[in-house]
Amino acid sequence: MAALTAEVVPGLVSGGASARVTDSDLASKFAVGDKVRMKNINPTTHTRLARYVRGKEGVVNMHHGVFHFNDVVAHHGEGHQNCYSVKFTMRELWGEGYSATDYVYIDMFDDYIEKLS
Amino acid sequence: MPHDHHYDPLPDTELRVRALESILVEKDLVDPAAIDLLVETYETKIGPRNGAKVVAKAWTDPEYKKRLMENASAAIAELGFSGVQGEDMVVVENTEGVHNVVVCTLCSCYPWPTLGLPPVWYKAAPYRSRVVRDPRSVLLEFGTELPASTEIHVWDSNAELRYLVLPQRPSGTDGMSVEQLEELVSRDSMIGVKLADMPA
Amino acid sequence: MNSIHDLGGMEGFGPINPEENEATFHYEWEKPIFGWFFSLFAGGIINVDVFRHAIERLGNQHYLESSYYEHWLGAFETLLVEGGTITTEEIDAKMAELAGETQ
Repeated sequence: MAALTAEVVPGLVSGGASARVTDSDLASKFAVGDKVRMKNINPTTHTRLARYVRGKEGVVNMHHGVFHFNDVVAHHGEGHQNCYSVKFTMRELWGEGYSATDYVYIDMFDDYIEKLS
Repeated sequence: MPHDHHYDPLPDTELRVRALESILVEKDLVDPAAIDLLVETYETKIGPRNGAKVVAKAWTDPEYKKRLMENASAAIAELGFSGVQGEDMVVVENTEGVHNVVVCTLCSCYPWPTLGLPPVWYKAAPYRSRVVRDPRSVLLEFGTELPASTEIHVWDSNAELRYLVLPQRPSGTDGMSVEQLEELVSRDSMIGVKLADMPA
Repeated sequence: MNSIHDLGGMEGFGPINPEENEATFHYEWEKPIFGWFFSLFAGGIINVDVFRHAIERLGNQHYLESSYYEHWLGAFETLLVEGGTITTEEIDAKMAELAGETQ
């Protein structure tokens, strides 16, 4: 029998499948307010580190908690990392002529980030 | 329905779908009754009216709004909205000086339980490429012109958090009921490309 | 991977052209594709991350020339074949069979 029958649909739709890891004791590596730089890496595998923030400097805005790490789960692996909202100015991302008071926030995992001293 | 090049299927798409459908059903990997129910659910039950209820409640119930800003997933679930692509929600609030807008530059992540399935433009290259770099021109295409002094905050939902914009409550709505307020909350205002509608 | 899916900051895609009163689905064939996401997830054949990565591997030209649910279709076909659940020969044969029936 197919795994998904009509009877199962309502529970699956309303329950979902959270990627949050609630029983992890993984310490967060960065704190809200930390000045950080995204690593300039170009994996040939799956990543959620969008190109436009690679090498760019921002500030940790929120700590979302620990989540399954998409980069390894996409290759049938297992792993989890802290996920943070990181805030960048348009000026930092796009350079001269772009606003220093409009912002992009993007969600970044531990492995994408290095702390600025 | 417009049939521009973004929309028209490739020549063999429909046949390919029928073939795959037939094989998946033969192999008992897909139950057609489940598919029908899923389609009906997302066509008729799960859509931006859900999100509008969340917004109107937040506008009228300060305690609810506090819970919504602190733990959005739980506060949204209080109203019965939860599940696939809305498991871990964040609500971002528009204020006098800050306007928020949501995108997924890498794919099409979108808060399904509160907004339903995303419109084509949200999933397509023009919006995804431009809103993180030139959000004001994008907002103008939706008829939304903001003062230069308003900060624009663009949220790229590239990981597993899903974002919902809490629009500002329009002025002149003091005497309105929650149901009347819900009517002012469009899908686009909860993505952040528009403001909430003004009362008629 | 640095493929076309990673669109942030690119230029040249033109206006956004939102559709008024847009329907949830635009074609009947989109509906089964949407449903397969849930069926194949429940069956343990896909997860959301392998699914996204399969879309990224469709090829840049195909990605730009096809629509959202065609991306899904391509991803499911890739993953079903890679996982050994079905073969491309099976799909080709079924397409030929169905095309014959309608002629």
